[in-house]
Amino acid sequence: MGKADRISGIFWLVFAVFIGVQSYRLGLGTLHKPGPGFLFFWTGIILAIMSLIVLLRAWSGKKTEEPGISIFGTQNTRKILFVLISLFLYARFMETIGFIPVTLLLFVFLLGIIEKKKWFYTIFVSVVVTVAAYLIFETWLKSQLPKGLLDFLRF
Amino acid sequence: MDMIQNVLYGFQVALQPLNLIYCFFGVLIGTLVGVLPGLGPAAAIALLLPSTFKATPVSAIIMLAGIYYGAMYGGSTTSILVNIPGEAASVVTCLDGHQMALRGRAGPALGIAAFGSFIAGTFAVIALTLVGPFLSGIALRFGPPEFFALMIVGIMVLTFLSSGSMLKALMMAAVGLILGGVGMDSISGRYRFTFNIQVLLDGVGLVPAVMGLFGISEVLENLETEIKREILTEKVKNLLPSLKDWAESIWPILRGTVLGFFMGIIPGGGAIISSFASYAIEKKVSKHPEEFGKGAIAGVAGPEAANNAAAGGSFIPLLTLGIPANAVMAIFLGALMIHGLQPGPLLMSRAPDLFWGTIVSMYIGNGMLLVLNLPLIPLWVMVLRVPYYILYPLILLFCLIGSYSIGNNTGDVLIMLTFGILGYLMRKFRYDGAPLVLALVLGGELESSFRQSLISPSSSPVPLLLGF
Repeated sequence: MGKADRISGIFWLVFAVFIGVQSYRLGLGTLHKPGPGFLFFWTGIILAIMSLIVLLRAWSGKKTEEPGISIFGTQNTRKILFVLISLFLYARFMETIGFIPVTLLLFVFLLGIIEKKKWFYTIFVSVVVTVAAYLIFETWLKSQLPKGLLDFLRF
Repeated sequence: MDMIQNVLYGFQVALQPLNLIYCFFGVLIGTLVGVLPGLGPAAAIALLLPSTFKATPVSAIIMLAGIYYGAMYGGSTTSILVNIPGEAASVVTCLDGHQMALRGRAGPALGIAAFGSFIAGTFAVIALTLVGPFLSGIALRFGPPEFFALMIVGIMVLTFLSSGSMLKALMMAAVGLILGGVGMDSISGRYRFTFNIQVLLDGVGLVPAVMGLFGISEVLENLETEIKREILTEKVKNLLPSLKDWAESIWPILRGTVLGFFMGIIPGGGAIISSFASYAIEKKVSKHPEEFGKGAIAGVAGPEAANNAAAGGSFIPLLTLGIPANAVMAIFLGALMIHGLQPGPLLMSRAPDLFWGTIVSMYIGNGMLLVLNLPLIPLWVMVLRVPYYILYPLILLFCLIGSYSIGNNTGDVLIMLTFGILGYLMRKFRYDGAPLVLALVLGGELESSFRQSLISPSSSPVPLLLGF
């Protein structure tokens, strides 16, 4: 866990220092009249100390109680990355394009491109899922999903 | 007697047709979630939270509670049939349960798991009925310093008992606390840690955070490895355990029930640990310890009873004191708040329909589960055959829709996805998510108790420090 803990130790340390600085700016107040930053300043300090300990343990190569793991595998990392990108794109375009098109696109992407299923199967499943999801969430549960491009159809 | 009146009132609430329907859906979905590997009760409850917004608080909590203890039932099905635990609390059931299945005794294994869970669940609810009001009475005398101390203790115990490094778990609690501060500070009216980012002005919502931490990150982690599932194809028959099975199981069930219940009450204890503890105890006291690991029915009966009792027991601190005992209860706390209820000792008096209605619905839910689980097993086996490449896009879609529908804005979706990445990285770098969630939920309460304790002129920091 040495290398991994070095990375995470530094990350949390930087985060903690950042929070500490922000909290200080918010105002600490006094002990009997604590300001908005009071609790978080001290929490940041404690977090910073703990991340330093994690960092130092990693540097000194001391054996911790956890087994080591490989952080990132090879080609499955790409898969995860692509899935994540597709999810962010979904969120970004949900309201502009609309729920139905964007959901169709997502499923076609995930099943057809990432999972490499046959096209007929992909399109079939995508349509079924999109329709079902629409019926369940929009028609039944009245979730008010974004209409986007299909607004003119006025479902 | 007051107690009987309360319970009757609870029945009145729980037996309303709408609440019965919600209860039924809750336990059904819970069992489904328990059966499916890769989706735990925490994620399921988080995912289904948005769909409860239109319901009354009572109906919502009844359904969500049903999901929780339903998942405990469902988890045993996959453990026994496929040797893959449906959720963490069923890991132990794999050990002997699957062995029993391999020897053609899947039926009695499933049967005893169901019956044991029923007995345990019922006991837990009875105990909840008796202990609940008593605890609420004590807690009414608590002031802000006592609450602060209690919350800190809860976080500490969860940290202490978490998997992996205690230091890292404590760090996650600190991070959760900090994240809880994002947004507007109610005492001073100033914005904290928002950096002019629109989506952060309202704070980090509990629902998107939990959906990301438990739902999305779980999917991302599962994408790394191909989960191979060999499902027992022979017909599962003869679900009723024999008299001999009962004789061997009844004491483990009773022991597991008591053990699980008490471990469930303690913050941080919970279903997972109690199932492991029960297995260890049963092996110790057994006359044939060498049979454990080869299909000893006590190794199924005890842990299954323990995890259901723990699920029931974990409601106690939440409903009486307003302190969540584990990550799932933390989400419940959030759910109560979202529905406008203030959990705490006053919950019982302010919302008796919720308090007693939920408790009684748990009796009913346990009964439904017993009836559901045994005949529906072929259905669950079919569900297990759905390949993961269909399941995970569905789960992801569910998360996307769910987080969007909280406030009809994509900001929550983005928060959820960010937490998804964070959760995934946390898993890889071995940081536990439960303390973060607990601290996030308690954060608001924690800070106000903290500041009130310090502001009030009559108090000194001493009671606070005593909490440590």
